[in-house]
Amino acid sequence: MRANFIFSEVWIGLRRNLTMTVAVIITVAVGMAMLGVGLMINAQVGLLKGYWGDKVEISVFLCNKGTAMPACNGKAITQTQTKALETHLEGLRGKGVREWFFEDQATAYQNFQEAYASNQALVKATQVEDMPQSFRIKVSDPDNYQSVIQAVQGQPGVSQVTDHKQLIGPFFQMLDKLAYYALAVAIILVLAAALLIGNTVRLSAFNRRRETGIMRLVGASNLYIQLPFVMEGVIAGLIGGVFAAVILIVTKVLLFEELGRFFAGPTAQLGWDAVAQTITYTMIIGVVICVLASFVTLRRYLRV
Amino acid sequence: MIHFDNVTKVYANQNRPALDHVSVDVDKGEFVFLVGPSGSGKSTFLRLILKEERPNSGAIHVAGKDLSRLSNFKVPHLRRRIGCVFQDFRLLPNKNVYENVAFALEVIGKPRRFIRKVVPEVIELVGLEGKAHRMPDELSGGEQQRVAMARAFVNRPMILLADEPTGNIDPATSIGIMKVLDRINRTGTTVVMATHDAAIVDSMRKRVVELEDGKIVRDQSRGVYGQAY
Repeated sequence: MRANFIFSEVWIGLRRNLTMTVAVIITVAVGMAMLGVGLMINAQVGLLKGYWGDKVEISVFLCNKGTAMPACNGKAITQTQTKALETHLEGLRGKGVREWFFEDQATAYQNFQEAYASNQALVKATQVEDMPQSFRIKVSDPDNYQSVIQAVQGQPGVSQVTDHKQLIGPFFQMLDKLAYYALAVAIILVLAAALLIGNTVRLSAFNRRRETGIMRLVGASNLYIQLPFVMEGVIAGLIGGVFAAVILIVTKVLLFEELGRFFAGPTAQLGWDAVAQTITYTMIIGVVICVLASFVTLRRYLRV
Repeated sequence: MIHFDNVTKVYANQNRPALDHVSVDVDKGEFVFLVGPSGSGKSTFLRLILKEERPNSGAIHVAGKDLSRLSNFKVPHLRRRIGCVFQDFRLLPNKNVYENVAFALEVIGKPRRFIRKVVPEVIELVGLEGKAHRMPDELSGGEQQRVAMARAFVNRPMILLADEPTGNIDPATSIGIMKVLDRINRTGTTVVMATHDAAIVDSMRKRVVELEDGKIVRDQSRGVYGQAY
């Protein structure tokens, strides 16, 4: 097997249908990038779900002085009311409540500072007294938290009960939708890429029918005849894959890091290892599709 | 070397067979002319030897191999032992003489050192010494056919098939081509040449197999083109 011979043939082939080659590279790049973004969104959703799953699931915000919730009537919660709520929660332990704790204003402010570290103006404008006190409840059965909410909702001194599922559920749904959308676009583009590669190989085979005819005649093996054409597809696919990798890296920096910073702490950041893995997968898928498309076309247009 | 036993070939969508119960033996080192009008089955005969076509019935043995039992995977190896020359030369226009001949060895993976050694030898054998770096369009028809013969012979095949090699060449130049074919034949290579050229057949006095409508109507050692009886 003479590698330089094969590569000179490949080079000639790629140069002769430059426009088709460019079309293949662009289609593969965008297709693989969409596939990669889809995979990355999936990974990110998994990370976020894990992150939020460990967090408090129900927050019972207590009335503060000046709380604009109708349940409070503008009055802060009294000591007795707090005590009553604590007893109430303790009574629910084992009946839906796994554990609970009290978060005072200072802790709330600290958490707030951490969460909005990137928005110093907001942090500066907020005082410790502005932060609400709250009970944080972890439910024993994450899918059956409604009963716990009902049990605390409307108790005296409670301004608002929120559960994180309600807050982040739609967000996760949107991310899932985005992932499916990206994957659907990826599938369509992969199909387009396969057809384009097929056409490119067909053009190449037609352009070089003299050469392949002679190769057949002098007894070149099928592999030797087909390899330059398959390599054309592979190289176009690889270059497309490199572009896709660049797109994925840019997406990670511009989109996912912002997303992670906004919705979770640094622990829920999509790591570079995940990105590298995605790039590897998309590269492999891209090249495999190119090889398959080339082979299928060659079987039809290059009788050996 | 080439053994046809009751071979029939009918192309799809055709009623009349291209070859009709043909049996013929060609021994090692023989020189055989295949004559007959157009459509008599000469080209089909050559294509069957290369396993480019499959017979509908009958057995073909080439170089000791039963072609019906030869897997597609091994067909290239069969073709490496058979050289081919055509009426239309089939040279690569963007490669010079040397590269055209070397191409046949490159694509079967021969080492570069071997190619550098044998290609000039063969170019000399066909009488093109000093023209190795000419492009095909700078050569006459006769010279182009010599390049094609060099390419067919460079891998030292056991059999050389020539399909009307003098069909596009004037009679004076054809004599030179025939001399090269004779030289190749003298190295022990079996030569089968399909032709319409009566003058050449008559002058060579080799075995003549005549086909008509796919049937062998004459098989004569040291024959001539026309009916000798």
